[in-house]
Amino acid sequence: MKKILTVIRKEYLERVRSKSFVIGTLLGPALMSMFILVPVLLVDKGGDDSRTVGVIDPAGLYFESLVEVLVDQGRDNVRLELIDTGSVEESLVQMKESILDESIHSGILIAVDFLDSGKATFYNKSVSAGIMRDDVLRPALNRVLREERFAAAQVPDTLFAYLAARTIWTNIGVTAEGGEEEQHEDVGFIMAFVLIMIIYIMVIMYGSHTLTAVIEEKSSRMVEVLLASISPGDLMLGKVMGIGMAGLTQFAIWTAAFFAISQRGISVGDFNFDTAFMTPVILINFLAFFLLGFFLYATLYAGIGAMCNTVQDSQQFHTPLVMGLVLPMMMLSLVLRSPDSTLVVVLSLIPMFSPVLMFMRVCVETPPVWQIGLSWVLMMGSIWLSARMAGKLFRMGILMYGASPTWATLIKVLRN
Amino acid sequence: MTRPTLELPPVGETILTLDSVSKSYGSVKAAKEVNLEIPRGSIYGFLGPNGAGKTTTIRIIMKIILADSGSINLAGRPLDGDMRDRIGYLPEERGLYRKMKCLDQLTYLAELKGVPRKEARRRSDAWLKRMGLEEWRDRKVDALSKGMQQKIQFAATFISEPDLVILDEVFSGLDPLNIQLLRDMILEEKAKGTTILFSTHMLAEAEKICDAICLIEGGEIILNGPLEKIRADFPLESVRVAWEGNPEPPADLPGVLHREKSEGSWRLTLAEGVNPRELLPDLMAFGPLTLFSANRPSLSEIFLEAVARHRKGVQS
Repeated sequence: MKKILTVIRKEYLERVRSKSFVIGTLLGPALMSMFILVPVLLVDKGGDDSRTVGVIDPAGLYFESLVEVLVDQGRDNVRLELIDTGSVEESLVQMKESILDESIHSGILIAVDFLDSGKATFYNKSVSAGIMRDDVLRPALNRVLREERFAAAQVPDTLFAYLAARTIWTNIGVTAEGGEEEQHEDVGFIMAFVLIMIIYIMVIMYGSHTLTAVIEEKSSRMVEVLLASISPGDLMLGKVMGIGMAGLTQFAIWTAAFFAISQRGISVGDFNFDTAFMTPVILINFLAFFLLGFFLYATLYAGIGAMCNTVQDSQQFHTPLVMGLVLPMMMLSLVLRSPDSTLVVVLSLIPMFSPVLMFMRVCVETPPVWQIGLSWVLMMGSIWLSARMAGKLFRMGILMYGASPTWATLIKVLRN
Repeated sequence: MTRPTLELPPVGETILTLDSVSKSYGSVKAAKEVNLEIPRGSIYGFLGPNGAGKTTTIRIIMKIILADSGSINLAGRPLDGDMRDRIGYLPEERGLYRKMKCLDQLTYLAELKGVPRKEARRRSDAWLKRMGLEEWRDRKVDALSKGMQQKIQFAATFISEPDLVILDEVFSGLDPLNIQLLRDMILEEKAKGTTILFSTHMLAEAEKICDAICLIEGGEIILNGPLEKIRADFPLESVRVAWEGNPEPPADLPGVLHREKSEGSWRLTLAEGVNPRELLPDLMAFGPLTLFSANRPSLSEIFLEAVARHRKGVQS
């Protein structure tokens, strides 16, 4: 036990004292906010560069209304340009040329009988222009059509405003105590996403630290000296825990900084960080899944490192591990849609997926306690198994200097 | 967990016993029924050609690999994982953490052998001084020359003040000055009652330092015991001769097994039972003799002869 502490101490101090730790601690939040906020901001603003859309309006009735609607909807990054070079055919030729030479982004032809048929044609060069059509032009033109038809039916403006009204929603989450609390759905989702990204990034980053740390023992030829003093299982455990604690230290610094700043309130664009989202349940689960996820992946990484002599050797084994984290990220929308379907419950109990999927379920709606507990137990069992395996591989690896490991040798070693 | 203390036998009595230890990898037998008794306070040569099974046997003693069968006793107790703390091991595959400072490195390795932190630090300082490396105390291992690194590794082996030390090819790659330094240190440790298992394929070194040897070949011990006794078992003798003008002696000298030129004279290995004096008339008849001296058999001659006898025995 004392020897494990010695290993933990060495691995921890070595990391915390390194330059890369200091730099990582300073740059980490910047990188992470880039990961999370940039897409949010980009989607929000629909990109910064303004775009020009050509409009052919043979009836000459709709262009002005469309411009007004766009202004009203705050789409100031979309500029409309009326194309009118005589006949519709001539205008079309002109518009196509402009699309091809990229002086305009895309174009619409509003049918002459638009009021009756509601027909419009969208001209574009790239598939991605469809986003512009669906997000911006379609809703705007829909409103133009509605307004024009109401006007044609001589519906008074006041009635029109009344008819066009939309529902106004308030979300109330029912708390365990039977009380109510106002919910900010978007914020909750984004906070959950931020936390999952933190788990994901920390697990990948510190997990692969374990890989390189174990390979270092082999490339520095320390294996034999170490194994003459400490059992391989204890050595693996000490390494994984030392590196894990370094990761936790970094995370603690970030959390402290985050809460210190959020006392003064952070807001980016329309998005406000809401520390109220961090209920004790979520906090405890976050820590649990973070730790268990870290140790699971770290011991798996350690096992890979134990077989390989160089980082290059380890590449082939690396991919399946990363997939273990990436796959559940891709299943997040499934969890959001039906967090308690059988499929999601089963998937979220798979130890390699639990840190992302089960935690997402906790964030979305608290799953039954037995499911959370079961996923913890399954993860702990996997950690134990994987640590033992890593120790075994480490001991065997000593006899495999020189040869690059393959899947076949891995299976052979594990069978022994 | 505290460091185990052993009740050591008196100097000269057996401290390490290997009892029919065997290990095979697939169909290859790396160790066949190895029996060994090493007396406390001796330097025991563990000799054999490359691939003979030396390293395998050592790794089994260190519990790095597990034997298929057989048992090992240290100071009368079955060797377990904790008792390894009483054994110092310098593997042939040398390693150090390149980015670690010399002092931290020694302290860490001592701590892993169960030495408390403070004491480990004090001893590290003392060993750096003893090795003449105190100026390098806070430098990273990377900055050290290869010879200096080997001295650090040597210090790391002895820092836990072990009762038994296993040195695998300790002198390889060292210059004569450092070999001399380390040899003296090994003798100093021996004088304190430390037992040393000295594994090497460099027989000349073993001859200078060992009290007893064991010769392993093909995973089997084929020769074992105090050096003097082994010499008596191999009354293999040779003579060193030279003639004026240094001519090459005829190949068919009666009673001579083979001849070998070295340093301006000839070394003639005699067939078993041949007295050097019987040879003299023939040698004098060949030409004016300028040198004639009888030699004791060297370890390498014994080694070659023993291997040859063993292989003959295995074949028949």
